[in-house]
Amino acid sequence: MTIERDTLEMDVLLVGAGPANLSCALHLTNLINAHNGRAKAAGRKPLDEINIAVIEKAAEIGAHQLSGAVLDPVSLRELVPDFEKHGQAPLEAPVGSEHVYFLTKRGRVELPVLPPPLRNHGNYVVSLNKLIRWLGDKCEAAGVNIFPEFPGADVLYEGDKVIGVRTGDKGIDKNGNAKPNFEPGVDIVAKVTVLGEGVRGSLTKQLISRLKLDVASDPQVFSVGIKELWEMPDNRFPAGSVIHTLGWPLDSHTFGGSWIYGMRDRIINLGLAVGLDYRDPRLDPHHEFQKFKTHPFIADLLKGGKLIRYGAKAMPVGGWYTIPQLAADGVMIVGDSGALLNGERLKGIHTAIRSGMLAAETILEALVAEDYSRNVLGRYEARLKESHVGKELYKARNFHQAFDRGRNFGLLTAGISMMTGGRLPRRLKIKAGHQHMEKRDGFQGDRYDGLKYDDKLTFAKLTDVYYSSTHHDEDQPAHLKVVDFNICVERCTVEYGNPCQNFCPASVYEMIEEKGARRLQINFSNCVHCKTCDIMDPYQIINWVTPEGGGGPNYRNM
Amino acid sequence: MNIVVCLKQVPKKDSILRIAPDQKWIDERDLSYEMSEADAYALEEALRQKEKHGGEVIVLSLGPERVKQSIKEALAKGADRAIHLNDPVFEQATDAPAIAKALAAALKNETFDLIFTGLQSDDYGYAQVGLIVAELLGVSSATIVMEVQPEGQEVRVKRELESGWFQWVKVPMPALLTIQSGINQLRYATLKGIMAAKKKEIRDVKAADLGLTAEDMKPVQTIERAYLPQKSKQTEMLEGKPAEVAAKLVEKLRFDARVI
Amino acid sequence: MSEGILLFVEQRDGALNRTSFEALVAAQQIAAATGDKISAVVLGQGIGAVAGEAAEKKIDVVYTVEDDKLSEYTPDGYVGALKQVVEKLDPRYVIFSHTYRVRDFAPRLAAALGKAFVTDCIGCRVEGNDVVFTRQIFQGKIATDVRATDQPPIFASFQAGAYRADKAEAGTAEVKPLEVNLSDVVIRSKPEEKFQEAKQAVDLTQAPLIVSVGRGIKNQENIAIVQELATALGAEIAASRPICDNEWLPMDRQIGSSGQTVAPKLYLAVGISGAIQHVVGMKNSQTIVAINKDPEAPIFDIADYGIVGDLFEVVPALTAEVKKAKGE
Repeated sequence: MTIERDTLEMDVLLVGAGPANLSCALHLTNLINAHNGRAKAAGRKPLDEINIAVIEKAAEIGAHQLSGAVLDPVSLRELVPDFEKHGQAPLEAPVGSEHVYFLTKRGRVELPVLPPPLRNHGNYVVSLNKLIRWLGDKCEAAGVNIFPEFPGADVLYEGDKVIGVRTGDKGIDKNGNAKPNFEPGVDIVAKVTVLGEGVRGSLTKQLISRLKLDVASDPQVFSVGIKELWEMPDNRFPAGSVIHTLGWPLDSHTFGGSWIYGMRDRIINLGLAVGLDYRDPRLDPHHEFQKFKTHPFIADLLKGGKLIRYGAKAMPVGGWYTIPQLAADGVMIVGDSGALLNGERLKGIHTAIRSGMLAAETILEALVAEDYSRNVLGRYEARLKESHVGKELYKARNFHQAFDRGRNFGLLTAGISMMTGGRLPRRLKIKAGHQHMEKRDGFQGDRYDGLKYDDKLTFAKLTDVYYSSTHHDEDQPAHLKVVDFNICVERCTVEYGNPCQNFCPASVYEMIEEKGARRLQINFSNCVHCKTCDIMDPYQIINWVTPEGGGGPNYRNM
Repeated sequence: MNIVVCLKQVPKKDSILRIAPDQKWIDERDLSYEMSEADAYALEEALRQKEKHGGEVIVLSLGPERVKQSIKEALAKGADRAIHLNDPVFEQATDAPAIAKALAAALKNETFDLIFTGLQSDDYGYAQVGLIVAELLGVSSATIVMEVQPEGQEVRVKRELESGWFQWVKVPMPALLTIQSGINQLRYATLKGIMAAKKKEIRDVKAADLGLTAEDMKPVQTIERAYLPQKSKQTEMLEGKPAEVAAKLVEKLRFDARVI
Repeated sequence: MSEGILLFVEQRDGALNRTSFEALVAAQQIAAATGDKISAVVLGQGIGAVAGEAAEKKIDVVYTVEDDKLSEYTPDGYVGALKQVVEKLDPRYVIFSHTYRVRDFAPRLAAALGKAFVTDCIGCRVEGNDVVFTRQIFQGKIATDVRATDQPPIFASFQAGAYRADKAEAGTAEVKPLEVNLSDVVIRSKPEEKFQEAKQAVDLTQAPLIVSVGRGIKNQENIAIVQELATALGAEIAASRPICDNEWLPMDRQIGSSGQTVAPKLYLAVGISGAIQHVVGMKNSQTIVAINKDPEAPIFDIADYGIVGDLFEVVPALTAEVKKAKGE
C-alpha cells in the first residue's frame, strides 16, 4: 500500500513537549525577538518568521510528565525570571524540612548530616505535570505551535542529515490495516529537529544507532521510578517537606532509594527509584515499592490516606560518561533523551531546561548563519559542557559507576568522590543495566512471599494501573514490538523466567499457558510509557515504539 | 446547509472523580477534559453532512476558558467557526433551562437549517438541553437520531426506539436533532487542520451581549448534595489468586445462588 | 393552588409500557408522605384497555385523552395535549418514566410551561414540603440529591428499573375522558412504520443464566474465552453496547437501554464497567457477579459478588472450576 502523505514545513521541529523542548521553544522565541529587535535598531534585516512546532504523543501537554519532583530553580530563573513571583508558576512549596534515613526492615537511622547532593534548601517541590502545562501555555502564547496527540514515528533523513520527523499514522487496526478513519502520518520537514522525547526516546534510539552517536560514551544506565500520590485527611506532612530513604526493601545489589514529598492540599507524593541494573530476575519494582510502604515508618505516615494516582517512568542515571554525541547534521538531543540527568542529586528538570535553552541559543546562531550542519549545531555540546549543568554532571561523573559494583562499594566510592570533587583513582567502566541480570537458577522461591495487597496501603499492579488513568485505543497494533517470540518461550522462560512480567510496572507482559503451550501476551493498552521493558529486557528484543497519538497515561498533577 | 453543533466539554471518561469539599459537586482541580462523547458524534455527523451538501458548520459551546480546547479541536476537524459563551455569569447556568436559554439566545441571530446536539451529556446527563433550545426557538425536533438524510425543506431521520426498534421520521427544517453515540466513525484532527483552525473565528460572547443577566441564569433545580453512589446491595468481594476466586465463586453459585 | 400528582402512562400500539408502573411506585411513595392524590393520563386512540389496566392500581382518576392527532406518537401532539392537561389539572408533580419517548417530548413540554424537569431519577424522598430527587451524574459514578426550586408543577422522570413495577399498590380508579382542543396544534413530524433491524433470534429475556461481556475484553478473538465460560455454565452470551457496535457480537445480544432488558437468575458481567445504559437492562437480575479490573467500576455497586482482577486470568480459571463442579 502506498500512502500519500502531507508534508508540513517548519523551521524548527521539537519532538516531545517536556521541560527541555518547551524551554527550548520558549527561549528561542525570546532570542529571535531580541535578535530582530537588535537587527531593526541597527538597520539590518531581521530573521523571517520562524515557525516552531512541538509534537507530543500525549493527549494533552504534560500528561506523560512524571517526576519526583524537587526543582532546582537555577535554570528556570533565567528562562522566566519572575517565575517565583505572584504565584506565576505552579510551585507546590519551597523545600522546608529535609531528612534522609537509612531503612532497615523495621527501623530507621537518620543520616546525621545531609549528603550535599541531597541538600534541597532553596529548591521547590513541584508537580512536573503542572509545571509543564504552565510552560506549554507560555509557549503557545509566544506563538509556538504545539501539537498534542502527534507522536514521532520515524526520523526523516537525507543521507545522514536529519531533515525532520514523520508523525505516527492514526486509524490502523490491530492487524495493521487501515480503518475507515485512517489518517496517515505527516512528514514534518524542518531545518533543525530537536529530540527531547524524555528517557529512552524511540526516535533518539533510532538516531543514535544509525549515526553511531554513542561510540565514545559508556552504555546508558537507568533507574525506574514508581510513584503514587496520596490524599491525606490532615496536614501531617506539610507541603515542602522532603524525606529521602536508602536501604530496605532494596537488596544490597540494587541501586535506588525513595522520596517522600509534601504537596499542596494535603497530598503526599512518594515513590521508589529502582536501578535497572539489578541482579535478581524476580525483582519487581512495583512490588518493591508496595513492600516499601509496609515499613512501619511509611505505613504510619500514610495511615488514613487514600491513593489517588499512580505512575512509573524510567530515568537516565548514568551521567557524564554515558552522554552520547548530542548534535549531528540537522539534529540535536536534549534533556533525558541525552542522559542529561544528575543521578547523584536525583534531578533532571533543571538540567533539561538548561539543555533546551542552550540548544535554542545554538539554533539562533544556525538560523542567522543559515547553516544547520554539525559545524554550527555542535556548539550546543560545547555550551553544555561549559554550563553549570556540564559542571555538575562532571562532578558527579563517577556516582552511578560506583554503584555498578553494589551498594556498599557505591556508598564508599560515592563518599570519596564527593570529597574529591568527583575524582577517583581511575575511571570505572560499566556495562549496560540488563547485563547485570543473572539467570533464575540462583534465585529460588517467591521474592515477595508475604506481600499482601489490602487495597488500603498496598495495591496490586492492575489496581495501581487503574490509578494512572492509562488509555489506548484497543484496536491498533501493539506498540511493544517483540523481535522474536520464540526467545521468550524457549530461552527466556528457562534462563530468566520471563522477567518482563516482573519489571513492567503496568502488567503489560503476561505469559499465558494455553492447551499446554506457553505464549507471551502483550496487554499494550496498560502501558504507562515508562520504557523499562525496552531497557531491561535481558535479550534486548523488546522495542518500544510510539502508539497511536493520544494513548498513554494521564499524569494529571503528578 | 448550515448546521450548528452544540458542544459540551466534560471531564475525560477515565477521570477518577472525587467529591468537592462542599459536597455539592466534584472536585474539579484534578481533571482533564474532552468533548462529551455524543457531542463528538454530533460534530462528526455535521461535518459529513457539510461534505455532502455544502454549507457551514458552526460550533456553539458554553463554559469557561478551558472549553476553547474542545472548540479548537472541532475547528481543527473541519468546523468553520465557533461561538463561545464565555462569561462568569454563565457559570451558574447549571441546569438545562438556563443553559438552553443562553444557547437559544446565541442562535437568535444565526441562520441555520439544522442544530445538532448529543443525545445527552456525559456529566449532568439531563437529556433535555437540546429540546428546550428547540422549544425556545420554535423549531421542530427529533431525538436519539441514528441517521440523517436532508430532503429538500425536510430532514428524514432514523430514530432509535427501545428494545431494538427503529423508526424513520420526517421533520421540517430548521430542526434540532439529538445524535446518538456511535452512529459514525470519528475522524482525527490533522496537523493541517490544526494549523488552519488557528485562523478560524472563535467569537467570545458575554451574557450582556445576549441581553441575559445573572437572574436569567439562575437554576430552577439545584444539587443539594453530591456523593459516591450508595451500594444498593451488599457486595461480597472475592479475593485471591485466579484459581482461588474461581473456586470461591463456584461455591457461591452452587450453594447460595443455586444456579449450577 | 396546585395539588396532586399526575402520572403519565405510556402506551404503544395499545400496550402499556410497564415502566409507567415503576414510576407509579415513585408517585405512590410521594403521595404516601404528602397526602396528594394521584391521577394518571393516557394519550392516544383506542386506549381503553391501557386505561383499564392502569385503573387497577391505587390511583384516584385515570384520564384518557383521545384525539386524531394522537393516533400515533408525535412530540407536537403530545406536547400540545399534555400542556392542556397539566394546565387543567394543575398538579404539584408530573411524573414520567424516563423512556425514549418521554425523552423525545417531555423536555419540550416542561419548557413550553416554563417548568423544571428533573430527569432520569433513581429515587426520591419527601422532605418538608418538597420532594428531594436522587439522580446520578457522570454516568453513574456520582449520585446527587436534587431539589427543584421552581413553582409547581414540577416535572420528574424515573429511570427504568429504579422501582419495581410489581410493588405498585393495587386499587380501583375511576376512568374519565378529558377533553383537549388540538385544532391549533400543528403536527410537524411525519413518522413512518417502526421496524426492527436485527432479527430477534435470541430472546435473552427468557434465558435463566446470562454471561455478558463488555469493553474489557479488548478484542473480538478474546470473546471465545467468555463463550467457553457461558457454554460451561449453560448460559446465553450477551454484551454491552460497545461490543455490539463493534459487531463483535450481533445486535440481538445487546443488554441495556437500547438493547434488551433482562432479569435472569444469574447475570455474570465480564469486563463491563456498568454504565447506566447497561445497568438499566440487567439490574433486576437475581444474582449479579462482576469481574472487572477497575475496583471502582460502578458495576460492583449492584453486584452480589465482585472479583477485582484480570478477566483473562479469572475467566479461564472459572470455566475450569465450573466444569469441575459439573463433573465434566
